[in-house]
Amino acid sequence: MISNFLASVGAFVLGMIEAFFQALSIAGRTFRGVLHTRGRARGEVLHQMYQIGNRSLLFVTVTLGALGMVLVFQVCLQINKITGDQSQVGPEFLRGMVHAFVPILTAMMLATRVGAGIAAELGSMTVTEQVDALRMTGVDPVDYLIVPRFLASMIMTLVLGIYATVIVVLAGALMAHTAFDVNYAVFFVFEKITWGDLGVGLTKLVVHGGAIPIVSGYCGLSTTGGSEGVGTATTRAVINSSLTVIILDFIISAIGLMTVQSGT
Amino acid sequence: MIHCDGLSLQLTHRPVLSDVTWHIEAGSVWGIIGPPASGKSVLAKTLCGLFTPRQGRLTVDGVDLPGLPEPDRVKVRRKMGMLFQNNALFDFLRVRENVSFPLARQNPEMPHHELVARAQERLRAVGLSGSEEKWPSELSGGMKKRVGIARATICNAPVLIYDEPTAGLDPVTTSKIYDLLTDLRRKHASTVIAISSDIPALRRFVDHILFLHEGRIRYCGPESGLEACQDPVVYQFVRGQTEGPL
Repeated sequence: MISNFLASVGAFVLGMIEAFFQALSIAGRTFRGVLHTRGRARGEVLHQMYQIGNRSLLFVTVTLGALGMVLVFQVCLQINKITGDQSQVGPEFLRGMVHAFVPILTAMMLATRVGAGIAAELGSMTVTEQVDALRMTGVDPVDYLIVPRFLASMIMTLVLGIYATVIVVLAGALMAHTAFDVNYAVFFVFEKITWGDLGVGLTKLVVHGGAIPIVSGYCGLSTTGGSEGVGTATTRAVINSSLTVIILDFIISAIGLMTVQSGT
Repeated sequence: MIHCDGLSLQLTHRPVLSDVTWHIEAGSVWGIIGPPASGKSVLAKTLCGLFTPRQGRLTVDGVDLPGLPEPDRVKVRRKMGMLFQNNALFDFLRVRENVSFPLARQNPEMPHHELVARAQERLRAVGLSGSEEKWPSELSGGMKKRVGIARATICNAPVLIYDEPTAGLDPVTTSKIYDLLTDLRRKHASTVIAISSDIPALRRFVDHILFLHEGRIRYCGPESGLEACQDPVVYQFVRGQTEGPL
């Protein structure tokens, strides 16, 4: 009984370690593939940019717009109860959005929408032997399937992140003005945002955007079984991509605080 | 041509192939048969280097395939064409692009019009003229098999592997597909390995049989000797009896 339990725990831990190194190997092959991107891949990158970027626009707009409004409403409500001075709401809100909230929220949303899509597509290709057929013709599935998604996701997460910042700030300003009568000129004060904040925010967007297709692609390419396996891979992709984004966000924030954001 | 010596393979910690020793001479036509989940498709994919055996030796044209890193295996795979069990047509490419895909990868400098012409010629050979611009999802099961055969044979590879070329097809289409495979084999004198559950049709096509059961070889020899095999599993399977070890 105990030995069976220990054996299953051991198998689970070994499986996790193996999966980690396999995902790391896919990351390495993806970086190498980026250096050798040729004409066909460029066309595929544009196609994936449309899939990842344009198709996520409404999702990002609605979610972050609503979030910006709720966040500002709650902050103003609490400040009203204490001091009533709302002159710092705008500047602090802007700074928090730029270096912390927008990168992680945009990435988490893309991890669910884009990550699930990549895992389902690659998982279906794996169980229907299309990935084997690619290998048979001398095509590296990582090079052919993950590299274009990696490049497209990095570019479009950055673009969507910048767009989301505009949306969330406008929504927040609208809420502050209409519900709490905060002047737009008081709200839109950008002085608190440092170059370090901007750098950290943009770095997070690019890194998160790159991590999602690698993690989801690994989940898709390691799919086993039939349609049930594709479902499992999709779930794994969403969970693992989200966890990866959170961990990377924590690491980048820590490095940012110790370096470019020190003293702010 | 292809030599396996004591090949063993595990997938998800479960043995799939055990001590498989098999020698395939150039120009021979082999059929692999056996009950479901006996390792037939895995063996075929192992021969192509899509799986790496845990033990044993596998050489293709004198090259030790498992010892090669993935990029170098491509050179060996160029000598092979494979029809996959699920056809494995790329659903993001049209029929013509699917067929010409291996050719385009092997010959990156080949002009587009030549790729198109070769794909059309191959589709004509499998009786699918006029389907060039269709998507795989628009094809019937038999048509998908034929497109898969066209793609597997477009490079005129010396070794052709057909995994279940007639699974799920009616007897007339089955006969047509075996006639097509026979024609292709005669034209190109290829070494052929075919996996099928349709034993009578397969036996008419091949001259050697490999019988696998639970990853182990139960019979390996001429097709004509299969009836005389006294192994209880082979005996029961070939005669379709309900009583026996299976």
